[in-house]
Amino acid sequence: MASVKLENISKSWGNVTAVKNISLTIQDQEFLVLLGPSGCGKTTTMRMIAGLEEPSKGNIFIGEKRVNDELPKDRDVAMVFQNYGLYPHMSVYENIRYPLKVRKVPKSLHENLVRKTAQKVELEDLLNRRPRELSGGQRQRVALARAIVRAPTVFLMDEPLSNLDAKLRVNMRAELKHLQHELKITTIYVTHDQIEAMTLADRVAVMDHGIISQLDSPEKIYNDPANLFVAGFIGSPSMNLVKGELKEGIFKHSNFSVKVGLKECSEATLGVRPEDLELTNPEKAVCSGRVYSFELTGESTLVTLQFEEDRLTVRGHNKYRVEIDEIVGVNIFPEKCYIFETETQQRLRR
Amino acid sequence: MRDRHLKYLFVLPALIVVASTAIWPLLQSFYLSFREWKLNRARESKALWDFEYDGWENITYLFDNYLQAVQDDLMWNAVQVTSIFTVASVILSVGMALGLALLLAPGGKFRLTVRTMLILPFAMSPALIGVSWRFMFQPDFGLFKAFFDVLFPPLADVDWLGDPILAMIALVGSDVWHFTPFLTLVFIGGLATVPKDAQEAATIDGATSWMVFRDVTLPSILPVLAVGIVLKSIFSLKMFDQVYMLTNGGPAYATQTLAHYIYFNGFKYYDMGYASAVSYMLVIPMFGLTWVYMKLVFLKR
Amino acid sequence: MLSRPARKQINDFLQFFLILSAAVFIMIPIYWIISGAFKQQVDIFQLKLLFTPTLENFKIIFKSPYNLLDKLYNSTVVAFSTVVVAIPLATIAAYSFSRFRLTGERIMFVMILSTQFVPAVVIVLPFFILFRDLGILDTKLSLVLVNLSLIMPFAIWMIKGFIDGIPLDTEEAALVDGSNRIQVIKNVVLPMALPGVITAAIFCFILAWNEFLFAVIITTNKAVTMPVGLSMFHAEEGVLWHLISAAGIMIMLPMFVLATLIQKHFVQGMTMGAVR
Repeated sequence: MASVKLENISKSWGNVTAVKNISLTIQDQEFLVLLGPSGCGKTTTMRMIAGLEEPSKGNIFIGEKRVNDELPKDRDVAMVFQNYGLYPHMSVYENIRYPLKVRKVPKSLHENLVRKTAQKVELEDLLNRRPRELSGGQRQRVALARAIVRAPTVFLMDEPLSNLDAKLRVNMRAELKHLQHELKITTIYVTHDQIEAMTLADRVAVMDHGIISQLDSPEKIYNDPANLFVAGFIGSPSMNLVKGELKEGIFKHSNFSVKVGLKECSEATLGVRPEDLELTNPEKAVCSGRVYSFELTGESTLVTLQFEEDRLTVRGHNKYRVEIDEIVGVNIFPEKCYIFETETQQRLRR
Repeated sequence: MRDRHLKYLFVLPALIVVASTAIWPLLQSFYLSFREWKLNRARESKALWDFEYDGWENITYLFDNYLQAVQDDLMWNAVQVTSIFTVASVILSVGMALGLALLLAPGGKFRLTVRTMLILPFAMSPALIGVSWRFMFQPDFGLFKAFFDVLFPPLADVDWLGDPILAMIALVGSDVWHFTPFLTLVFIGGLATVPKDAQEAATIDGATSWMVFRDVTLPSILPVLAVGIVLKSIFSLKMFDQVYMLTNGGPAYATQTLAHYIYFNGFKYYDMGYASAVSYMLVIPMFGLTWVYMKLVFLKR
Repeated sequence: MLSRPARKQINDFLQFFLILSAAVFIMIPIYWIISGAFKQQVDIFQLKLLFTPTLENFKIIFKSPYNLLDKLYNSTVVAFSTVVVAIPLATIAAYSFSRFRLTGERIMFVMILSTQFVPAVVIVLPFFILFRDLGILDTKLSLVLVNLSLIMPFAIWMIKGFIDGIPLDTEEAALVDGSNRIQVIKNVVLPMALPGVITAAIFCFILAWNEFLFAVIITTNKAVTMPVGLSMFHAEEGVLWHLISAAGIMIMLPMFVLATLIQKHFVQGMTMGAVR
């Protein structure tokens, strides 16, 4: 069990910089998710912790120990890979046993450890199979079993669920959460899927272009985004973002204005989530627009309105019905709005 | 990390072998090309040019071997033979291979059976190919005589290897037989990577099968085609084994390729300096083609 | 204007006919050698289609003065030794080329590859002189050494192609699981790359077996290999085609078997990873 500390870590290949001066401390037993779009540097960050890449600058600590110069095998981390990285020429049993074998765990313990682990991930009946004879979900479990069989100090998971189908993914997500709770092992988890991040993480580090855009609890990430990138990345459908100007505490858009009570800023962006808007009669509304599209999602409806250049998506009641090209009104509540300075992309706070 | 040193340690033995068996002789023959050495007359090679003796004004002595080569009609004959052979064999084998690949690409039992035959000629020793084709061209009881006796008697009594032009045709024929099946396999591999949906889309858009080939198939196998052409050109320029066994350069040098010419000067006349110099004249177009090949290969990565 | 089904039928038949002629064209020279090997000399001169097959030719070629068994032995030892030296060295080098960034990698690669495209005569010239000075002309050792110049670059390039195709994930998993680099290679890379390495080995064996130019220059008597041995079937009355054919079978049949074994990868090997 241990904390993991990154100190001013950078990684570049030639003139491409993948990770820019990141500092981050992951507490002992914490479940931290690195979240971001592809190419944001999240996988590179994890691979540096594993020792599969060398940082160009900065220090990495696992526990109290600086591990920059340690080989992966000496870092006592376990990793689950996106494509599982199973050994195709070994049976499931041998796959799970391999870490014990190379780490010189006494042979007499192997059998017992492998069986116990296999039980934990429900693989007891498949121990003699080869990886190619398994389904995606089963392979995933083998990879998991191989990682937990030797109780590492840190778990690293690189998009472990991305190759599973949607239903299996939801199941495995719950199992992962349970397993981490049971094993109490520090876990770093890389994903581009925000639902995974929200459901699994104690804390989420949202990454963008090699930097950590925001590091916070899932709740804060959703309800209190620090900048435009996080605001736009988190939430589905994503937050409405419209450009306008901020004068005397009022956000002014060509179609509407909202009193937000903030200091002046010539170019500002207003963000508001679809579920925080209210559909209403055009006469009583803050603004109104023409319906551009109307979608049913089951538990609710999504109405997209067209203004001159902007569109607003509003989440409506699941019984709500409207025709395309109708004029519909929208209520905007100032307390539900986020204001960002367009130039710096940073949130403006009250 | 320790990999830093390990990775060089891994390539070292192989590099040493390549350097001593391939790079060293290359440099050595380059050096020899500027020296005089008749192996049957002298134990050591002699400098062609000595500063103290000859002085700067006679620096051209250094290039004696090269100058001799440029003035040798047989060398130019070999250049001409190699060029004709290369152009003819490349065009014929690549063209036939492309056609055969298109015919064989669809699959099915019959086609797959024929495909397995394609490997055979290429696994055969070129020297054996040379001998067996000489056997087939034998004027009294060869296969071609038997063949034309039945089909076209006027050609039956032709002495294939005795006529300069027919000997060249025979040489090209044996080489086309050797390489066409191999190139066909290469092109079938290329055809397998052509996106099926693009071909189908073109068909639905109203293209005839010729248009599908021209607009979709051909552009996507162009890189493979280019690699095939360049590789075949390199092999053709190096042509030696069949020349030695089928025609031995004859009749009267009509099929003497550069490789054979170099062999003759080096190992029949034992003129090592001269043979090296001519070799290096062949190296130049080879490096050009190699460069093109590298571009094609690395472009894909 | 023909109807569509009729046109299709004609087209199908035409294709069938073309493919069949190609197959015949490919097989005839092979058939010619095989049939020649079982003919008596008189049958060869009379161009008989029907003849009584005989095994006599095979008996003759293994007897004095031809002693083909010696040549068979030479060819086997030379090809085998070349492969045994080249493949292990090429495998670790190929692994390094495939998995690491090496300073000067491009240059090393171009260097290794370009040696392939140089006329072989250029390479054998200095070797001939060296071997003459060392007094090892006409030995199997000298032939193996020269053959390495041909085989080594091929083997490196070909095996690299195979290793490139092995997913990196598995190796990294082994590293994190606690293996050092040597263990990774032994436990993970080698088992996965084995089919590729064997293919490369067989491929190189065929190349070394068929090699002619080096052998004809380096060997004269003791170390003569099969392809060079083909030239010895002469008599006063001319070329002994029936014996050449029998010897030809001994050269080509083993290679046909080997080539068929690795059929799928043969092309890839020959184009050295360029076409995939």
